[in-house]
Amino acid sequence: MTRTLRLSTVALVALLGACKKEEPPTPTAPAQQPQAEAKPAEPPAPKALKIGLVIDVGGRGDHSFNDAALRGLETWAAGKRYEGGKYAPASAEEVKQSITQDLANLQPPITALNVEPLVIQSKSPEDYEPNLDLLVEQGSDLTIGNGFLLESAVEATAKKQPKAKFLLVDSLILDAENKPYSLPNVRTVTFKENEGSFLVGALAGLVSKTGKVGFVGGMEVPIIKRFEAGYRAGVKTTNAKAAPGLVAVYTGSFDNVAAGKQVAQDLLKKGVDVIFQAAGADGLGVIQAVKEARAAGKQVWVIGVDSDQSHVAPEVVLTSMLKHVDLAIYHACRDLTEGKFAAGDVVLGLKEGGVGYAEVRLDFPGKAEALQKVEALRQRINSGELKVPGTMDEFAAFQATP
Amino acid sequence: MGERWRAAVPSILSVALALVVCWIAIALTRDTEVASNAYLQMLYGGIGQWPRYLDGGDLAVIVRPLGEAASKAALLILTGLSVAVAFKAGLFNIGAQGQMVVGALAAAVVGAQLSAHALLHLPLALLAAAVAGALWALIAAALKLWRGVHEVISTIMLNWVAVTLVDNWLVVGPLRPTVTGGHSVSGTAEIFPTAHLPRLLGDISRMNLGFPMALAVAAFVWAWLIRTRRGFETRAAGLGPEAARAAGIPVKQRMAEAMGLAGALAGLAGAVLVLGTEFRYPGVLGAPYGFDGIAISLIGNNNPLGVTITALFFGALRAGGTRMQLLGVHKSFPELIQGLALLFVAGRLVWLALLRRRRTQPASAEVPRA
Repeated sequence: MTRTLRLSTVALVALLGACKKEEPPTPTAPAQQPQAEAKPAEPPAPKALKIGLVIDVGGRGDHSFNDAALRGLETWAAGKRYEGGKYAPASAEEVKQSITQDLANLQPPITALNVEPLVIQSKSPEDYEPNLDLLVEQGSDLTIGNGFLLESAVEATAKKQPKAKFLLVDSLILDAENKPYSLPNVRTVTFKENEGSFLVGALAGLVSKTGKVGFVGGMEVPIIKRFEAGYRAGVKTTNAKAAPGLVAVYTGSFDNVAAGKQVAQDLLKKGVDVIFQAAGADGLGVIQAVKEARAAGKQVWVIGVDSDQSHVAPEVVLTSMLKHVDLAIYHACRDLTEGKFAAGDVVLGLKEGGVGYAEVRLDFPGKAEALQKVEALRQRINSGELKVPGTMDEFAAFQATP
Repeated sequence: MGERWRAAVPSILSVALALVVCWIAIALTRDTEVASNAYLQMLYGGIGQWPRYLDGGDLAVIVRPLGEAASKAALLILTGLSVAVAFKAGLFNIGAQGQMVVGALAAAVVGAQLSAHALLHLPLALLAAAVAGALWALIAAALKLWRGVHEVISTIMLNWVAVTLVDNWLVVGPLRPTVTGGHSVSGTAEIFPTAHLPRLLGDISRMNLGFPMALAVAAFVWAWLIRTRRGFETRAAGLGPEAARAAGIPVKQRMAEAMGLAGALAGLAGAVLVLGTEFRYPGVLGAPYGFDGIAISLIGNNNPLGVTITALFFGALRAGGTRMQLLGVHKSFPELIQGLALLFVAGRLVWLALLRRRRTQPASAEVPRA
């Protein structure tokens, strides 16, 4: 018995030793805390505004929706580069490269603002609300919820914190019956994804050789249906034969690369040669599948979404439907620094530069003509002559006029 | 006394070792100051930012983190107990995740489709979740007891059946809420306020009735296992089915009961998630608490008290871990700590062997308790 006692003591000592290793933080921490708060006061310039951003479960590095938000906040607004958990100043070249061609001539141009990003990734849906709470508690002057998945969380936090300002990207504030309403401290931004999808659909119709084009969506929600409706309308406009046979599949998630790949492989097997994906991280699987099919000698293309995804697989990404979450967030930051931030519902379409398509870097027969046709369609949308369907019902009534 | 403590030593050492290893991992990738501060932030997020409060800060800076830790702990207690109860009956329930999913869905459906007085609505929703989880687990029990299908296989497969059925069909299909004007919502319709688990601390914290309920359930499970004849028979069936049968214990029945209870507990976890914080079945059900339950149960030595303590610890760690991101530490460190702790506990036989080797006496009386 005494021996076991001694053993327990030994274990206890070992345990204490183990705990001790973590104790040093305590003395340093109080020193650290004021330091962090003192930092902004150091330069004579006005204090940097803290911008908090909560991104959804797709996480950093989805090459799509969340990365677009991070680009808007970190690269454009703060002029920073995120590397190994730290921020370093981004070079002018880096910032320039991150701006897609359709925004290159934006007025006023994108310049770094005096803001400090504070980014939290969410591990599960029930973490959205505490994460927003945490950012408000950390003193962020504007707290951004990125994605419609955060709608309830932004709504709840904004009600709890009437003095804090919020930006909700990609959704309106909805009540229990899912009817939109507004809160005095929340700005919402939504996009006319159908208009951008229309243009890439038109391009897909022009590029397709087999006359079979496909669509891969993530969760089957109205917002993704809007991509599908616009895409279908675009295909119908430039390639009436391909439209009836257009296959649209939904993976049911935004964070399952394997599911995206599987679905895309099925489509490719059916002879589809252009796939447009609007599926978050699942879309990376779609790109992967198309890349592999190309390596196997098939003449196939994929169209990316939200951000310019060309760098993921330069040889197969025809273009990307851009959804400028980055611009929406940058604008909100700029409004905040200029003291012009106001609540309300903002809708960004093709005309406002909120959606578009990325530079087409790949060559295909008849490229110049095809791009000309697509640009002509852009003009018709901008002028209001062409109305792009936003739902499947509207698509059913859509008459293509090439 | 000494006996019980010795059973806990491997777990405590494992958790401590996991903490140290992760600290070193952060220190190696960043530096020691970041690692130490990250742990401090985790502490703040798990048990409250006491220094700031004592400096005259808002009460919310301690109550909110505590509430988050408690909500997470409640889920982990329930799924951990689910695995532990099955374990006591000699069954390895890997299906807590699936049982939680169907439980959560049942709670969401009863909460949203039924309207009743709060005194009736909430218990009904909880009951529906428990029953759904139990039925889901009983499928595996039935397969095991009548057809000899190993429960590890059947519960794993039932997890995927549940996820596919619920996440990929019911939630996006028949149970999708009606939406006007093309707005996107994820998950099922919002539940009525009468089915909410009441918040215990008002608006400043999400701490809800789910936490005391989970503690009460843990006490109930402990009493059932240790203090009742059925509990004794269940444990006997788990330790040696043949011997138990020879002693006249209806082994199959006890195993089925234990599995049903395990499913009900996991189902309740789903209900606590839906009725406590989400208020609807979300598009994708939270973190995989069902799988975490396995880790919690094993680290907690499959003992209700151990499970509760482990769940409280990891609840605080997981809730606080998010704050590590403020220092740019990757979001998955809390899971890494839990995973490593599990790995080290799995090596408990090594721990025990090490402890035993130091002993010169014949170790006959020191059979390790499973």
